[in-house]
Amino acid sequence: MARRHNLGTVVEFEVTRTLKRRRFWVGTLLVPVAIGAVLGLNIVSNSSTTQKAEAQKNEKFDFAYIDRSGYVEDEVARAVGGTPVTNSEEAISDVKSGKLTAFFYFPSNPETQRILVYGEDNGVFDNGKYSAVAGALLTTSAQSKIVDKKLLTILANNLKIHTQTFSAGRESGSIGDAIPPLLFLLIFYLVILLLGNQMLTSTQEEKENRVTEMILTTLNPTTLVVGKIIALFIIGIVQMAIFILPTLVSYIFFRNELRIPNFDLAALNFSLIPMVIGLLILISGFVLFTGTLVAVGAIMPTAKEAGQIYGVVVTLLFVPFWVISLVASDPQALIVQVFTYFPYSAPVTAMVRNGLGSLPTWQAGIVISELFIFGYVVLRMAIRLFALGSMEYSKKVSLRRLLPRK
Amino acid sequence: MSEAVVHIQNFRMNFGRTTVIKDLSFDVYPGETFGFLGSNGSGKTTTIRALLGIYQATSGILHVNGAPFSPERSGKLGYLPEERGLYKKESVIDVMAYFGRLKGLNKKSAVAWSMNYLERVQLADKAKVRLDKLSSGQQQKVQLGVTLMNDPVLLILDEPTKGFDPVNRKLLMDIIDEQRMAGATVLMVTHQMEEVERLCDRVILLRDGVAHAYGTIEEVQSKFGAEIIFVQSPEIIPLSSLYEIKRQVKGAAELVARPGVSSTEILEALIENGISITSYVPKKPSLDDIFLEVYGAKAREGVA
Repeated sequence: MARRHNLGTVVEFEVTRTLKRRRFWVGTLLVPVAIGAVLGLNIVSNSSTTQKAEAQKNEKFDFAYIDRSGYVEDEVARAVGGTPVTNSEEAISDVKSGKLTAFFYFPSNPETQRILVYGEDNGVFDNGKYSAVAGALLTTSAQSKIVDKKLLTILANNLKIHTQTFSAGRESGSIGDAIPPLLFLLIFYLVILLLGNQMLTSTQEEKENRVTEMILTTLNPTTLVVGKIIALFIIGIVQMAIFILPTLVSYIFFRNELRIPNFDLAALNFSLIPMVIGLLILISGFVLFTGTLVAVGAIMPTAKEAGQIYGVVVTLLFVPFWVISLVASDPQALIVQVFTYFPYSAPVTAMVRNGLGSLPTWQAGIVISELFIFGYVVLRMAIRLFALGSMEYSKKVSLRRLLPRK
Repeated sequence: MSEAVVHIQNFRMNFGRTTVIKDLSFDVYPGETFGFLGSNGSGKTTTIRALLGIYQATSGILHVNGAPFSPERSGKLGYLPEERGLYKKESVIDVMAYFGRLKGLNKKSAVAWSMNYLERVQLADKAKVRLDKLSSGQQQKVQLGVTLMNDPVLLILDEPTKGFDPVNRKLLMDIIDEQRMAGATVLMVTHQMEEVERLCDRVILLRDGVAHAYGTIEEVQSKFGAEIIFVQSPEIIPLSSLYEIKRQVKGAAELVARPGVSSTEILEALIENGISITSYVPKKPSLDDIFLEVYGAKAREGVA
C-alpha cells in the first residue's frame, strides 16, 4: 500500500517538475515549431507554384501552331489565341524577330515524339507558360474527343483499387495490414530517441545533489527507479502528442496545399493478434532498453559521462536496419533469426517482422518472454547498481560489486 | 529494559583491505537520546549508513526495531545525513511536500506542516524559492525540516549542528529537545560535547572502529579520568594510597582519586586522620576532558 502510494508520489513529482521546466518546453516546442515552419513554407511554396502553373496554363497570348497529329481542335486553339500556320521555318523566324510571341509544332505522334515550342523570352519562370499552354491545348483537345465521361474519370486515374495477394495458398498481408502494427515500431523509436538521454541521466540528479541518502532511507530504490521510468514514459507521450499535433493538423486542414496523398484510412486493418504482439514487444523492449540505460547511468558518476553512452544505444537501435531488406525478403535467413532473438536487436527486428506478417505467433511468444525476462533482470541490476553506486559520488561503480561478498 | 530500537552487534566493516569498524556493539532504547561520539574518520557515519542499509556490512547484526532497516517497515524514521543535499532546482515547498508525502502524509497535510515549520525557522517567505537560491544555512534548515516531517519515532542526526551559526544551533537543539520530549528516540552523532551532556542519556565513544566507552554519561565519566577533589583545610594534606596530590598551597589542595576509589572514601580517610576540612568539592571530568584524553592519547601515540 505504502509502496503504491510512494510510486504514485514519485511519478507525480517527476512528471510535474519536468513539465514545469522552461527548458523542457523550449526543447519540446522547438520541434513542432520547426515542423510548422517547414510546412508553412511548403504550403506557401506549393500554393504559389500551383497558382503559377494554373495561371500559365490559362494564360492567353497569340501563337501560331502546326498540328501534324490531327488531335488539336482548331476551336480550342482559337479560344486560347492560336492560329494555324503551314510553314514552320517562317513561324520560327517570326518568333526570333519578335513578330510572333510563340510557335508550337505538334508532331504526328505526340505520345512518342517531342512537341516543339518556340517563344519570346520572358525569363526562366515565365517561359513555362509556353509549354503549359501547348500541353493544355493538346490534352483539352484530346479530352473533347471522348464522348463517354466515365472514360475521362478513368483517364484522370481517380480509381479505387483493392489488392489481394496470396502466399502458399493463404491470403498475405497488404500495406493496410502492415501499417498499424508498424506504428508500435515508430513509437518505440520515438520514445527511445527522445527519452534515451533522460533515462541515462535519470538517477544522476540524486547523485549529483547528494539526495541519495535522504531518498534511500525514505523510499525503496525499486519504487524510485520504477517511478522515474513511468514518469519518463508519460513525458514521452506528452512530447509525442506535441510533435504529432502539427502533422495531424496539416493532414486534416492543409492536405491539398501540402499535396499529401489522400490516404484511405479505412484501408488500415487493425487485426487483434498483430496489434497485441506489437504492443507487447513495444512494452518489453522498452523495459529492456530503459533498464539498460538506467543501469549505465547508475554506474557513471556524472550526467556528462553518462551522456556519452547515448550514441552507443542509438547505434544498437539501428543495427537491425542494416539487414532490413533480408528481414523483408527472407525472414528465415540465419542472420534474421539471430537478430530476432538477440535481446538488443529483437524489439526492432520482431516489430518489423510482425508488421510484415512474417513473425509466427510462437516466435513472437518466445521474443516477448525473453525480452520481459531479460528486461526484468537488467532492471533489477540497474536498481542494485543505483543503490550500491549512490554513495560513489566521483567514480564509476564496478560491476564486480554486484557479486555477493565473501 | 524494553527491546532496543537500534541494535548493533559485532558489526564489522571493511572497505577493500581497510577495516573501518572492527567489532562494534551497542543498543539504543526507546525514548532515550543517545550520543554517538568520535573523532573524524572514527567510523560513526559508516556505522549509521550500514545501519540504514546504504552500506552493506561486512559482518554483524544491525537492526532497527528488531529487523534490518527497510524504509517501508522500520517505522517512522527521520534521518539527517552528514552529506546534506536536496533537489536544488525545485522550490522549497515542492521538495518538502514531496518528502512529506513519501513519509505518509497527504499533499494538504504535507504542505501545511511545511509552512508551519518554515514559519518557525523564519523561512516562510522563501517557500516558493528554488533551493539553490538559499544560503547554505537556510538549506540546512530546510533539510532539518524534511528530517522532522511526520513526527519520526526514531531520529538519526549525523552532525546536526554542522553549518549552523550559534543562534540557529540553539534553535536546532531546541527543536531536537522538543522531539525528545515528545517521546522520539534520538541517535545523535556530534562533536558538540556540551550538547551531549545537556541532551544525551547515554553515549558511546568510538575510536579506530572500536568502542572506548559506552554507558550513561556518569558511567563514562567514572571510567575515564579520576574524580578531582578540591579540599580546603588549615592543615597539610598527608600522602595516601587513595589519592594523588596534584597541587598543594597553604590552606588548599587538589587531589586526584586513584582508580576505583570514590571521593567519599577519601573524605572518610582524611577525617580518620584528624584532618579538619573547611571545604570538600569533588568534580567529575567533563566529556570534553574525556574526549581530549582519548583522542589526545591517540595523538600522542601517533607522535610516538
